[in-house]
Amino acid sequence: MRDVLDGTTRLDGTARLDGTRGAGGTAASFAAAAAAAAASAASSGADEKCGSASNDDKVMSAAEAVRRFVLPGSIVGMGGQNINRCPMALVHEIVRQGVGGLVLMGCNLSLPADMLVAAGLVVRTEQGSGNLERYGTLFAWRRAVERGEIVVEDHSHLTMVTRFLAGSLGLPFIPTLSLLGSDMAPPADGTPRGSMAAAVDPWAGQPVVLLRKARPDVSLLHVHAADARGNVIIEGVTSHEIEMAKASAVTIVTCEELVEDHEVSRRPEQVSLPSAYVGAVVVQPFGAFPTSVYRRYDFSEDDIVEYQSVARAGDADVRRWLDEHVRAVADFDGFLARRDPAGTVRAELVSTMETITMETITMETML
Amino acid sequence: MSEPATNRELLVFEAARRVHDGECVIVGTGLPLLAALVAQRTHAPRVQLIIESGVVFPTVLPTPMSVVDPRLMHAPSRLGSLLEVLGGFVQRGLVDVGFLGGAQVDERANINSTWVEGDDGKRRRLPGSGGANDIASSCRRLVVLMSHERRRFPARCDFVTSPGFLSGPGARRAAGLPPMSVTVLTDLCVLEGDDDEGRLRLAALMPGVSVDDVLDRMQFVPVVPEDVAVVSQPPASQLDLLREVLDPDRRYFPEAAGMTEKA
Repeated sequence: MRDVLDGTTRLDGTARLDGTRGAGGTAASFAAAAAAAAASAASSGADEKCGSASNDDKVMSAAEAVRRFVLPGSIVGMGGQNINRCPMALVHEIVRQGVGGLVLMGCNLSLPADMLVAAGLVVRTEQGSGNLERYGTLFAWRRAVERGEIVVEDHSHLTMVTRFLAGSLGLPFIPTLSLLGSDMAPPADGTPRGSMAAAVDPWAGQPVVLLRKARPDVSLLHVHAADARGNVIIEGVTSHEIEMAKASAVTIVTCEELVEDHEVSRRPEQVSLPSAYVGAVVVQPFGAFPTSVYRRYDFSEDDIVEYQSVARAGDADVRRWLDEHVRAVADFDGFLARRDPAGTVRAELVSTMETITMETITMETML
Repeated sequence: MSEPATNRELLVFEAARRVHDGECVIVGTGLPLLAALVAQRTHAPRVQLIIESGVVFPTVLPTPMSVVDPRLMHAPSRLGSLLEVLGGFVQRGLVDVGFLGGAQVDERANINSTWVEGDDGKRRRLPGSGGANDIASSCRRLVVLMSHERRRFPARCDFVTSPGFLSGPGARRAAGLPPMSVTVLTDLCVLEGDDDEGRLRLAALMPGVSVDDVLDRMQFVPVVPEDVAVVSQPPASQLDLLREVLDPDRRYFPEAAGMTEKA
């Protein structure tokens, strides 16, 4: 099944396993993801939903989760933002497996998106921004866009998350007050352009922009905790992740910690994302490294700066970096061991996070 | 006695003066955040900060490098989502002041952060809107911080990512956008304007800067009044606040710390 399409997927990302998936996603894509899971699941049950292995135990390795759910040409929802909770372990695995023709969607595309682009696996992106703020732009993405190798649909952060909201509610489209008057706005005559169309509020008579729903085939999140059923707990900000995951046919989560089902059942109001949306749970401590996980570990500035300097140097440099640090190891634990053999970097990041999340700390006590 | 403020530091204090007590302000990281914190710790103790990633009303620890830096998430009212902040606060109309940066600002205060045309005629890709379009679409007051270089002040932006006054007076209303006033702060001057004017005017100069210095570094000519004020120095206590408390390692003033900016 994985060989049906390769990296030659059409630039608009519409050529798919089922031939019908556009940027909006369809029920057919949902079925395709589920079918792919069923085809490769050794223990697939008759009651499978949401592309899961089994509704009671969705725990698997990153390699297995990527094999099942990230197909050539998939529309991939990118979790994380800037230097926070990026799905690094899953993206490393996609690079190792070389799954190509991907369409990336997200609000802020960051480090993991740049790696997928550098590995030559991306044909299109739909995003609100592509950068690492103070640590610079996405250098591989920028070069690929400037060379015309990647088609980009520009949005704002709010319009991307609003598109995910529509997808999560089962709505075909949704209005926004952003984009009006800007060069991102669609033609005033109402002709759709990409996922946008100009319209008029039928009650107030005011201009609005209609946004087509966004429905990724698979979203990638790194989270604090999950149970084996796929109930997810995120601490701190969630950026666009909850709307995106709920809009997606299936979501893969890597988690810092696997918790017992009964721990979740005791505090169900703290579940950020219920299991219905989750197809795979991968236990991967430090799975967001070198980005941060609130209350667990700080981001590793040195590692981010190093990647950025390699990425800035050129495509050959960043491909070599991927060969040495990602493809040369078997899994993300292998990467962590290579980057930080004695664990001192990770210990330091944990310690820093403990300090800055202490409740009694004040700006003066930081000095 | 402290060294007097550099023009880049003055830009922070001048931005802080645009924030009034009790207002709700959306900021990213960098100089806008420092400005909001100066305001919070001086004349506007009840200013409420929100950050697009979902942070609502935090106390900020030194010195965040990103909108998702945990240093930005201390003791907030809520840690929520991007939809809550850019939708539930900004688009909902609960934010008084928005702070932005950009690659270009034009005569009509439109902002570009998507792509610029290089000297070779090729497009150079930039990060894109982020929350900037949302903020410029829905906030009533916008403060834009810019490095004052000629290429950054074209008559017309190569691409309008975030709407200022669009094509001129009345254009925002016609597009369906609320009225907005804009302050552009640079290391050379202060430019201001609103919908009715439809273009930027030179409101003040940084110390030691002439009108010609400003105009030489722009591709358009803003409205220049007969008398242009000069930006005043902050009290020494505020300079100490910025240099020793808010950004003790001078992360945002590498020139002052003798560092080169990373990445």
